[in-house]
Amino acid sequence: MKLWKSALVSFGLLLLVLFLAACSGGNEETTDDSGNTDTDTETTDENTEEEKVTIVYARGVDTTGANEKLVAAFEEAHPNIDVEFREMPADTGQQHDQYVTAFSAQSAEIDVFDADVIWPAEFAQANYALELDRFIEADGINMDDYFPGAVAAGKFNGKQWAMPKFTDAGMLYYRTDIVDTPPKTWDELIEQASSLNGEAGTQFGYLMQAAQYEGLVCNAIEFIASYGGQIINENNEVVANSPETVKAIKKMQEIVGSDFVPDNILNFMETETETAWIEGQAVFARNWPYMQASSNDTERSKVVDNVGITTLPAGDAGSAATLGGWMTMINRYSEHPEAAWEFVKFMTGAEGQKITATEGGSAPTLKALYDDAEVQEASPLFANPEFVKVLEAAVPRPVTPIYPEISDILQIELSKALTGDQTAEDAAANIQTKIEEAMSE
Amino acid sequence: MKKFQLNEKQLGYAMVIPSLILVFVVTLWPVAQSMWNSLFDYRLNDPTRSQKMLDANIDLERYADNYFYIGNQLEALASSASGENTEKVKDIQQNIESYHEELLSDDQIKKDIAIIDEMLMKYQPVTDSELKYQQIDNDFAVDYRQALQSYQEDLTAIAESTSDDQLSDQFEQTAGLLGATSNTILKSNFIGLDNYVKYFKDKRMWQSLWNTTFFTIISVGFELVLGLAIALLINRAFKGRGLIRASVLIPWAIPTAVAAMMWGFLYDGQSGIVGHYLEVLNIIPDASWLLSTSDGAMFSVILADVWKTTPYMALLLLAGLQTIPMSLYEAASVDGATKTQQFWSITLPLLKSSILVALLFRTLDAFRVFDLIYVLTGGGPANATESISIYAYETLFAQQNFGEGSVLSVIVFICVAIISIIYVKLIGSELISGKTR
Repeated sequence: MKLWKSALVSFGLLLLVLFLAACSGGNEETTDDSGNTDTDTETTDENTEEEKVTIVYARGVDTTGANEKLVAAFEEAHPNIDVEFREMPADTGQQHDQYVTAFSAQSAEIDVFDADVIWPAEFAQANYALELDRFIEADGINMDDYFPGAVAAGKFNGKQWAMPKFTDAGMLYYRTDIVDTPPKTWDELIEQASSLNGEAGTQFGYLMQAAQYEGLVCNAIEFIASYGGQIINENNEVVANSPETVKAIKKMQEIVGSDFVPDNILNFMETETETAWIEGQAVFARNWPYMQASSNDTERSKVVDNVGITTLPAGDAGSAATLGGWMTMINRYSEHPEAAWEFVKFMTGAEGQKITATEGGSAPTLKALYDDAEVQEASPLFANPEFVKVLEAAVPRPVTPIYPEISDILQIELSKALTGDQTAEDAAANIQTKIEEAMSE
Repeated sequence: MKKFQLNEKQLGYAMVIPSLILVFVVTLWPVAQSMWNSLFDYRLNDPTRSQKMLDANIDLERYADNYFYIGNQLEALASSASGENTEKVKDIQQNIESYHEELLSDDQIKKDIAIIDEMLMKYQPVTDSELKYQQIDNDFAVDYRQALQSYQEDLTAIAESTSDDQLSDQFEQTAGLLGATSNTILKSNFIGLDNYVKYFKDKRMWQSLWNTTFFTIISVGFELVLGLAIALLINRAFKGRGLIRASVLIPWAIPTAVAAMMWGFLYDGQSGIVGHYLEVLNIIPDASWLLSTSDGAMFSVILADVWKTTPYMALLLLAGLQTIPMSLYEAASVDGATKTQQFWSITLPLLKSSILVALLFRTLDAFRVFDLIYVLTGGGPANATESISIYAYETLFAQQNFGEGSVLSVIVFICVAIISIIYVKLIGSELISGKTR
């Protein structure tokens, strides 16, 4: 009995310590909070009648500086809302993991965030995002003003969860000082890349993204779609194991295995591609439209004015570009949904998208902006009706709430095919069976 | 009256109880929690499986949100449909209402729905899971869910047979709403050992387990040999020994993620100097081999790990070396033993338990390798460097699949436990044999 008593006493002591620790932690937080509100109310008294709120906006690394201008312009238009910027990793997969970790803990620390086009279905299903339909209706925003593909990417189960901020599609960059007529098909690309390699100080014929990460999936979707293949069709059936897909993977293997790509092409992501490209090391490169801006940046680029852009080469079924781009979403647990919506509305509206386009070189999702003189001036791309057509017809990646799992399977199987650890036939067959398994669970 | 006093034995127990509780809270509880999680089909990003449920439950937040629309939509359908369809819709409406009444017959649920309705009107999320999830009767849950699903099918069938596009759309939408509502009534997601069975058959799990084992054995092997050499070197008295000892420790002091990024640049196929010199020395076929091939990536990861943790091994062994009395070596040299003989007959046997302890620490560390690989190769290319911890991370955090991810964590735990038991057995027998001699 005595033993029990002392045990109880020590246990009680331990609990007390833990409890005190927890309390002191909590107290600090609350004092912090009240401190903030105090200063907030002070500024409110001095400046405006309305209460000032601070919202936190998270997005990936931005090298263009457009983000600061966007936030500054918004704060000027809305003096009662402060926007605090939180930088996230550049790798979309790592960014995704940070968001889901925060949101699954129902954290309110982030209010507004940029989401890759592949996330809305997952975030909507997991209840991480606030549906925007009521806001959209209240403010009379016409979703028909946007590209339909980009709007559809933010839709899940009949509700709109994300506003399209800018759109992206894979493009072929080429050196106008070396190439006379850009290649029309993958075979022509292989031929030209191989024969023109070495001219004007180039070391590589072609650059693409082939590391084991999301970018590999984007590149592969382009090859597969250009040969008429698909991963998941409209009826939600897996159709990856087809002769078209096998042919596309074989073409990728041919390019990755050729001697006109860098030896370490299997480590290439967008940043490596961009660095090599603006150093003037390559004749052709596949990348997103943003590289247009860095190519013509006189401070960094050695290929200013020598860069042409066209659609990606065609396979048997024509040319295809993967739909990329970013949406803006609101955290379901945000404490300031109205302020957050104001920011989202501004950012994805004409004014905000114009800043993103002119400063950041990203393609707007609002159709009307392509007729705007300043936007057209920002990049020859935006004035090019061909480009706008590519954007409108870009091929989406599979739309499913378990996209991270699907992408994981694709990354591994494709990477295995490119390193030569398995044949194209095996890759297609494995993709088929593994995705089927994942979807049936 | 005798004063309350513990005897020595009781006092001893009383002293260790707090630490036992700590051990329980800090180590055993999370493991038990993981094991418990691994018995469920538990996915955070799937609202029907985002809670561990042994019995049927209802997600009141979503249910209340959906129910708010159901009445109006069915009403609208009944007025725009014609003939037997109107009858059908009215029938459905009545049935759903009666199910809803039955649900509300539970006073607690009725009260909670009222609170939630109010919160929904103000856009407030329901974060309190006690409020959000309510246990309901299993049979009732099955009935209600099946009823909603069959109504969904009925309405879809009507939508398909209706020629009026707008009306068909309307039916389609309400059908979708009913389907979504049926998903708010949750089944138990307890699946026992199914997850383990799945991973037992999963090639990727075995591959990553093999990658981890290979990585552990090779890198710890190299670290032992190099660490011992360094320890012997800095155990000797020479000028500037303090400086050497401190500088040897630098790799260990650099955070792993930083070291991994650094090695990433050194290995780079175009500008990395390590890749360049290894190529010049004909050790590797070409500079890009390091990170672009399966074998090369594994080699790179091991090399970076050996560089990083050899100092730690050296430090542990140095501590062991310093406990060996100099008199033994003096006696040996008087007897005419060479330096090599001294090493094999004095140093190694006396260092054995230090070596085992150092090996235990490093093996466990290496087996849980995560940050180095995550930053350096991300598990690629061709998934050749994916360790079991990386796989667990992918499943737990990228895919939010806590049930299956927990299985992988438990597998890591079991492997670590087996390794520890083997070493502890070896160390233990070592100590005992030392005693009896």
